[in-house]
Amino acid sequence: MDNSNSPRDRLVGHINSVREYERITGFGKIARRALANNSFDGVLTMIGVLMGNLLSEVTDATKVITIGIATSLSIGVSGLWGAYLAESAERGRELAELERASLTDLGGTKIGRASRTAVVVVSLVDGLSPFLSSIIVLAPLAATPLLGSIQVAYVLSFVVALIALFGLGMFLGRVSGRSLLAYGVRTTVAGIVAMALSLLIPN
Amino acid sequence: MGNLRRLVLDVLKPLEPSIVELVQVLAAVQGVDGVNISIYEIDRRVENAKITVEGHDLEYEIIADVIEENGGAIHSIDEVAAGKVLIDDVETAQD
Repeated sequence: MDNSNSPRDRLVGHINSVREYERITGFGKIARRALANNSFDGVLTMIGVLMGNLLSEVTDATKVITIGIATSLSIGVSGLWGAYLAESAERGRELAELERASLTDLGGTKIGRASRTAVVVVSLVDGLSPFLSSIIVLAPLAATPLLGSIQVAYVLSFVVALIALFGLGMFLGRVSGRSLLAYGVRTTVAGIVAMALSLLIPN
Repeated sequence: MGNLRRLVLDVLKPLEPSIVELVQVLAAVQGVDGVNISIYEIDRRVENAKITVEGHDLEYEIIADVIEENGGAIHSIDEVAAGKVLIDDVETAQD
């Protein structure tokens, strides 16, 4: 048994525990799906926010950033809250079924801790991924004074959004073991479709 | 106490952590020289395992704690051996 107490050993111990909890609950697969799905949501939501501002001819970068950050926070909270409630309900049910099958209270065991860790990790990934991805898309607007014009910042934000979508597609392609390029193109097209549909809104 | 050397336990455990992990955790317990886990019944969520632990000065409480920490429930202690010499079950005419 490991009885060492240095900070490094404790950190390694924690990492090994989380790995073990992942093996028990399989939360890695769910977190990976949540990362791709919710980052995709974050980028597309921010494309919508930026298109709305662009079409409404908002030229004050501060206003666009405020609206963008408020939206990012909301989708982050939505992801965190929703995932926490759904995941804790699902994990609680699974643990209760296992306890019924084994006629044992598993709350204080490795299995109980693994179940609680899965809820926390999946909720954090669900909440942080749309928040961070939308903030990345919004970032060029914060550099408007350096870029000289908000129109350039808008264009740059859309370029960042499309690159982020392509990157997400490549990530999914890697997960599925298929063509990175094909997946990248598919997710990028979603961004272009979102922009095109916004253009159809009557002004 | 007199040098507990062998324990054979009947344990009901969840499928995860697997017996591959459990056997290694048990093998790392102080005093344990070797562990064998065999599954004799498997269900959708749980499995019945025969866990055989051999060593020197085994501490039953520690071994039971490790099994319970990994979600196992000890249903019975099916065989024990202690002392200077490890003695196997002797077959008699009644057997």
